[in-house]
Amino acid sequence: MTMLENKPGIALHGGGIFKRYADGTEAVRGIDLGVERGEAISILGPNGAGKTTFLRMLTTELKPTAGLVNIFGIDAIADPKKAKTKIGVTPQEAGVFETLRTREHLELFGRLKGLAKSEAVAQSERILDDLGLSENAKKRVGDLSGGQRRRLLIGLALIGEPPLLILDEPTTGLDPVSRRQVWDLLKKIVAGGTTLIFSTHYMEEAEQLSDRIALIDAGKIVALGTLPELQSRFPLRYRLKFTGDAVVRNTKTLFFEKFEEVQTFIEEAAPVEYQISTSSLEDVYFSIVGEELSSNGNGDGRLGK
Amino acid sequence: MMRRLSDIYCIFRIHLARLRAESGPFLLAAIVFPLGMYFFANGVVRQDPNEFIPNYIKVHFVAASLVFSLSLTAISWFGYLLLENRFTGRLKLFAVLPVASSSYILGVMVFALGQGVVGSFSLLIAARLLGVDFTVNSFQSIFLLLIVVLLAIFSLAGLSVVLAHRVRSFAAGSLMTDALGGGLVLLAPIYYPAETLPVAFRWISKALPTTYVFQAINKILSGDLVIGTELTVLCGMAAVTLFIGFWQLSWREA
Repeated sequence: MTMLENKPGIALHGGGIFKRYADGTEAVRGIDLGVERGEAISILGPNGAGKTTFLRMLTTELKPTAGLVNIFGIDAIADPKKAKTKIGVTPQEAGVFETLRTREHLELFGRLKGLAKSEAVAQSERILDDLGLSENAKKRVGDLSGGQRRRLLIGLALIGEPPLLILDEPTTGLDPVSRRQVWDLLKKIVAGGTTLIFSTHYMEEAEQLSDRIALIDAGKIVALGTLPELQSRFPLRYRLKFTGDAVVRNTKTLFFEKFEEVQTFIEEAAPVEYQISTSSLEDVYFSIVGEELSSNGNGDGRLGK
Repeated sequence: MMRRLSDIYCIFRIHLARLRAESGPFLLAAIVFPLGMYFFANGVVRQDPNEFIPNYIKVHFVAASLVFSLSLTAISWFGYLLLENRFTGRLKLFAVLPVASSSYILGVMVFALGQGVVGSFSLLIAARLLGVDFTVNSFQSIFLLLIVVLLAIFSLAGLSVVLAHRVRSFAAGSLMTDALGGGLVLLAPIYYPAETLPVAFRWISKALPTTYVFQAINKILSGDLVIGTELTVLCGMAAVTLFIGFWQLSWREA
């Protein structure tokens, strides 16, 4: 047992988590992560980086090949059932029971989390309201839209008011309004002291919700820190998006370390249109993960200087 | 203990909603198709349409159709439902809850049992309306019939649990549950005498729960309540399938 495990402020401690599948694939290759109570951590990374495998080991769905997972002082590998009393989970590809009514679905899963009937009813009402599903409370789940079902899945994680939420791409498939509604709710819940770990492909979501961001690539955490900390690791602080130069007439994105360099480039290239901004989490992500810059398909994939 | 019972009840309720919403396929599997098989068997045994069929043969076919109903509901219909739970990600919702996997199995078994009881007694009522004279008129005969249905469901639905968690794909599982639901009835000497089967198949039929479920139900409907042997064999089969089901279903992947 490490010092970190015993620290009272620690909600989750994963140490040396390693997962090798039977076919020899090493999906997670030694992740160490401590999450404090009331902290929100986002997990970013390309497809196949090991995000879901990592989260599934935290939720006790998958047994690590090596390492330890400690949730609020409970050894989640030795006693998964007890650990699960502390966790609310939205699995990535979970289905819902389409023949249940929306409220009934929440209530029954509240009961399965050990709530008394009256408490399950009260919490269900509150969650339906928070997730904007009150009008659909009596509808069959099968009649809900994809986004509404996704919100219901988040509601299933929230019911029982677990102190730790582990959400695997919680807002995938939601429209922008619903996504912001979920963000507001999660912010409120985290402000109330709940710990949140979630994976996402939306940079804005990570920026909006996280205290710290973990970038995972090839089964390892390759960067971990607050947004300013991660940005400080990316020396090219200025992004120039411009249209047209003497040679190429389409939109390109280039990055510069100093503002003076941006000015010099503009004077020399004389672009038709341009936009200067500071580099974003997405830029940091691409620089660390090592993928080509796409900038919504308009960039040329080069880091400029 | 109360928590466990509450979990089993909630899992039963969740699946009961399925029956509530999709009663049509259940009625087909539990009543309509077995009644069709009853008429089919009666039709085949007649040399001409006006030929009189003795009541004991009709009772035999009612018992056989009851087994057909139990097999279709406990394997084809129920197995499909379990496959859906697994392959549409619904099972994940239970896997992340502080609920024992054995509670899930017991919850779905209670649901299967409910289906079996409703289907069996509906079929008996239909048979009575068709003029078949069988003997289920004492507390003992009703009690024994319930025990047989319970053991039939545990052994047949237990097979579904095992199957649903072993197969690699939804399509393969669906094919297997359909084939087993009908196959376990056709391979057992239920609608025909065992002697008409080739010797190898006779041995296979002795390993099928449907054979003993039929023998027990046929005896009860005929007024013979001495079914100790059948109950013993069915207890053993139910214990084995349930043990494998409990053992195989783990919320945590290795």
